Amino acid sequence: MSTMSNLTPEKKKRVIKDNLRSYSLLLPNLVLFIAFSLYPVFWTLKYVFYRYGGYGASVPKFVGLENLIRVFSDDIYWKAVRNTFVYAGAKILFIIPLAFFLALFLSRSRKGNGLLQSIIFVPTIMSSAVMGLVFYLLFNVYSGQINQYLLNWGIISQPINWLGKEHAMKTLVITAVWGGVGNYMVYFIAGIQQISQDALESARIDGANRIQTLWYITIPMLGPILKIILMLSITSAFSDMSNVMVLTEGGPTNATMVMALYGYQFFFPISAGMTITPQYGYGAAVSTISAVIAGIITILYLKASKKLDDIY
Amino acid sequence: MNKKKKIVLEILTYAFLLTMVVFTVYPIVYTIFGSLKTNSELTLGGGFFPKEWHFDNYVQAFVQADFAHYTMNSVVVSVSVMIIATITCALAGFVFARREFVGKKLIMGAYVALMFIALGSVTLYPIYSLLTALHLNKSVAGLILALVGGQASNVMLVMGFVKSIPKELDEAATIDGASIYGIFFKIIMPLIKPIMAVVALFSFRYAWNDYITTLIMSISLPKLRTLTVAVVQLKYSANAAAEWHIMLAGASIAIIPILIVYFFCNKQFIGGLTAGAVKG
Repeated sequence: MSTMSNLTPEKKKRVIKDNLRSYSLLLPNLVLFIAFSLYPVFWTLKYVFYRYGGYGASVPKFVGLENLIRVFSDDIYWKAVRNTFVYAGAKILFIIPLAFFLALFLSRSRKGNGLLQSIIFVPTIMSSAVMGLVFYLLFNVYSGQINQYLLNWGIISQPINWLGKEHAMKTLVITAVWGGVGNYMVYFIAGIQQISQDALESARIDGANRIQTLWYITIPMLGPILKIILMLSITSAFSDMSNVMVLTEGGPTNATMVMALYGYQFFFPISAGMTITPQYGYGAAVSTISAVIAGIITILYLKASKKLDDIY
Repeated sequence: MNKKKKIVLEILTYAFLLTMVVFTVYPIVYTIFGSLKTNSELTLGGGFFPKEWHFDNYVQAFVQADFAHYTMNSVVVSVSVMIIATITCALAGFVFARREFVGKKLIMGAYVALMFIALGSVTLYPIYSLLTALHLNKSVAGLILALVGGQASNVMLVMGFVKSIPKELDEAATIDGASIYGIFFKIIMPLIKPIMAVVALFSFRYAWNDYITTLIMSISLPKLRTLTVAVVQLKYSANAAAEWHIMLAGASIAIIPILIVYFFCNKQFIGGLTAGAVKG
């Protein structure tokens, strides 16, 4: 812009016009971005420091660090943090190997593999909320089809309370794996197809069997894409919420409460039957801390995966 | 490897694939067959297939539960979100990739930064208050805008794609006297159609399937609800226990259209997923 003053008036006019033209095309998106992405973030960061909502606080009142201090002594919140780690850990632990093996088998060009890929991918296009409702019916203790089949086949003698305190988290993870495995399979297939056929060919000529090629060629060569896949699976597992909201509502007694849902319930009720007293300031603080935790995990993961690079 | 081992390995592979296919398909088939059963057959444990095919469940869902209205809402909302998202992202992605303007670094920095800040659903409250202040909280326009949202990652996706197009094309057009608008509509847009299709498909799916944003933005006027929200809300209705067949009919009405879209565009869905990873 320092060069702006050296320009002749005519040129200046042209530069301004040029800028206006650029902005005329950018503006529709920029307005949406400011209103629906930028503004909410600043709003949240501001109200972290206010008491707003809740008993006798309909007008926001500056309280400094009060909300943040309260988060650190909020046992249910830290339970939700633990639950989030359990949920994310279990989801990733199952989804990554399953997706990898699916990709390994289905990336070979063989009749029917394309169809199988398309079938495994189907759950990812469906609403996790609607399917949450379907799973809620399927896993019902007495009327659900899962227990009915297991009882009929003699696998169990008593109905399992799938959505009860003991099993709810497992059930949630099963449904999350169902909804996500197709996504990661597609990423793995893209990675496998990038591996040069020459490397695989020469390994075969050297007498390596299928398991050896898998271990010494395919897996190491998938390294870069595996890093992206793990990254995506971590961030998405930390933000999963609508499936939890519909299937278990975070219950019973917070057994499946995750960070994202815990912040949400200070703004809006989780289910239609619930009434809440909103606590906007505290909800903002909870969500900000959750975002920081997710951010730290991401950074730690990136650092760890860089270290792995050096070893290879 | 000897022959026996090979055969065992092959059998294990097929067993694994079969298990995964059954695991994947079962809940969907349950939904569709369940939607044709009576409530008592559903809850008391009938066979896999309906004893009698009760297509009247759908009539009940469409008429009594007003799903015809919610289906219309879903179509209007999803198509509008798709159009607005695709056009605004294409324009912004083009401007970021090709134009120099005052404040570009700052604005682009904000877009990139916001892709990494995951505050989640908390941001729905300020969005809801903003729409209320603009008197848009009781209109379908407000819901559509909230669902379109900021689109930062889609803009970056388009930008990456535009950057892969040789710059000489626009330079030649500039020399021929084309304006920025001419360059976008006549040269860039025809070439970025594949990535625009990805944005369109994914934003349509997002709007069709979304639960939480739509639920919040229709609080002031429940008539605005889309199918997804209306179906899930059946869980909380007073006689939910007697309405499993209606829930499953509703769930089928909500998933069948997207399955049809998928049937015709499964290549684009699957390819679109990796478009960002490859280009980015």
